[in-house]
Amino acid sequence: MEVLNSNFYGGKPTQLHFSPYEDNGGTVVAIAGKDFAIIGSDTRLSTGYSIESRNQTKLFQLSSKTVLGCTGCWCDALSLAHLMQARMQMYLHDHNKEMSSLAVGQMLSTVLYNRRFFPYYVSNILAGLDADGKGILHSYDPVGHCEKTYYVAGGSAGAFLQPLLDNQIGMKNQQNVERRPVSMERALNLVKDSFIAAAERDFYTGDGVHINIITKDGIREDRMVLRKD
Amino acid sequence: MDLKTEMKIPADFPFGSSSTASPSDYRQVAHTPITTGTSVIGIKFDKGVMLASDMLGSYGSLAKFRMIERLVEVNKQIVIGAGGDYADFQFLRDIIKQKVTDETCLDDGFMLKPRSLHSWVTRFLYNRRNRFDPLWTNFVVAGMQDGEPFLGVVDKLGKAYENECVGTGLGNHIAIPYLRYALDKKPNLTEQEAREAIVKSLQSLFYRDARAFDKYQLATITADGVKIENGLTLETDWSMADLSSGAD
Amino acid sequence: MFLTRSEYDRGVNTFSPEGRLFQVEYAIEAIKLGSTAIGICTSEGVVLAVEKRITSPLMEPTTIEKIVEVEKHIACPVSGLMADSRTMVDRARLECQNHWFVYDEKMSVESVAQSVSNLAIRFGDSDEDGSAMSRPFGVAILFAGIDEKGPQLFHMDPSGTFVQFDAKAIGSGSEGAQQSLQEVYHKSMTLKEAINQVLTILKQVMEEKLNSFNVEVVTVTPEKKFHMFTKEEVEEALAQVVPLVKDDPLPSSSGSATKVK
Repeated sequence: MEVLNSNFYGGKPTQLHFSPYEDNGGTVVAIAGKDFAIIGSDTRLSTGYSIESRNQTKLFQLSSKTVLGCTGCWCDALSLAHLMQARMQMYLHDHNKEMSSLAVGQMLSTVLYNRRFFPYYVSNILAGLDADGKGILHSYDPVGHCEKTYYVAGGSAGAFLQPLLDNQIGMKNQQNVERRPVSMERALNLVKDSFIAAAERDFYTGDGVHINIITKDGIREDRMVLRKD
Repeated sequence: MDLKTEMKIPADFPFGSSSTASPSDYRQVAHTPITTGTSVIGIKFDKGVMLASDMLGSYGSLAKFRMIERLVEVNKQIVIGAGGDYADFQFLRDIIKQKVTDETCLDDGFMLKPRSLHSWVTRFLYNRRNRFDPLWTNFVVAGMQDGEPFLGVVDKLGKAYENECVGTGLGNHIAIPYLRYALDKKPNLTEQEAREAIVKSLQSLFYRDARAFDKYQLATITADGVKIENGLTLETDWSMADLSSGAD
Repeated sequence: MFLTRSEYDRGVNTFSPEGRLFQVEYAIEAIKLGSTAIGICTSEGVVLAVEKRITSPLMEPTTIEKIVEVEKHIACPVSGLMADSRTMVDRARLECQNHWFVYDEKMSVESVAQSVSNLAIRFGDSDEDGSAMSRPFGVAILFAGIDEKGPQLFHMDPSGTFVQFDAKAIGSGSEGAQQSLQEVYHKSMTLKEAINQVLTILKQVMEEKLNSFNVEVVTVTPEKKFHMFTKEEVEEALAQVVPLVKDDPLPSSSGSATKVK
């Protein structure tokens, strides 16, 4: 269509600008406890004001005790998650063992940094269990900076939910509070409440929540509906 | 993180997309769709999938090619449809057709399945985006796999997903609400109900999408195979137009 | 076997009609000329001992390095063409560091052996400008270390084949030494016992008299990882050797073997 605009007859040639990136929204929240890790994503996939899908999980199971949550540019998220799955399989064949969550954590960092000058535009959160069965999370920036944490929110409502988690789990800047490890039941409720809150104010978050609960016995799924507007 | 911040690309970047493009760089031309198709829409029903698109190839605002096929049968269980640059669609269609031919020659009883094709197209388009030389198309893959209907889309970036109903281009804005409404009301549509929802969507698109057309194709994929109806005409009623101020 | 030599022994890319690759077999012969190295894997750790051939009194013995540290948790005794072994050890070190960089974990001993094997079987390969590698490595190598499976010992020959062992000897004295190992090895061996046994067996198969200059001893244990014995530690270990040898007629008090200059 642009070929027929006024510039076509005089000035420089014009073109539709091609941007390789797109923001497809989505939120991931994860909480780790002493013998579990919970990670949840919303199931809305959007482009601008359009909802492309109401039922697209952003969680990718990488092993029996590791789950990756990816939000951001969906084409990059898909490619990255599938690349990780392929690399996990190659590791299994090379070394005759399943990758530990910590090894996956480091590999994701190097995989992301390998694309330092054309990054995967994805906010990643990796949930898993360490060698002792303790819950562990890794959160990343798009070029591979990695941080180990015990609670984190990422994606379109990440900045909105992180302070909530800081307050409820981190007990940041609170006096005379009892600091005790978060139970699985409370963690699950917090994850669900976080999404209900995010769906209220962030229109890139909504439709549904897909949750993975990782324990030494395996990965359990849970789902919840969210407002669809 | 503001994902909308555009990537800054140096002027001497080999696949440059700087605003001062020189006409000698053919890649720059490839970034502009020339002959375009508009929406493709699709919906699942109880026994299969239905896909529809109009048959117009636009040249800017000129309705230039009025009988082009934008839905193509790939094999007995897959139909692909595309919007966006028509040449890019033909390019990819020819590669897919060659794949199917090669596979037929093997005569091993195996057939390309829709989920595999969807994944392959995703990888192909993502690879082109990574080379800053995208195919300017939206692809829809519809078919039957293991007795279940499959419906998936891929855009020019390689962004891919499956859904119960899909619409590309303006179809995403105008048709999808109709289709989702139909599915919300009754999750398991019959073929007839799916067809009604599709035709109603096509009508709305024709009324409001300036690049849409009333000649259309409609593909139905069920366990029995693929049926593509070509050159159908939408029944339209413009009598309302007189009541709308500014339409005359 | 030398009687069967024919035109099939020139290239590494041609099988003989009997299905043999002579160059590989010759390389396996070549490693039987190397200095003897012995390793024993116990539940407490791995013990390694290698003879150093001091061919001249003017030679500086400390510059002969037959057991190398690949990573903190892996040691490799080598026997055969030392120059070839450098290439293999370099690869082992590179793979270990790369594994640590990508996965933030120590590479398992078996994986290191596998990665070096991948290099060793490339002897027939060629690249754009001719041959990349024209012959097999003339090296026998042991991979000894500690990983999540505990103490491990692997052996690899010039064909690239690698096999796990409880105890293994390579080099010129390997036949006799392997026989002795088979006799003395038992699953409940302590590290101390193993140190004694490797030195005892090495002493039996060596032409030179065993002393603290012509032997290199390394242990790899969960506590100390790679540990190369100092001259003093070697002397101390050698002092223990004689009494343990049951058939040795020398009285334990003499300890003569350890006091050689």
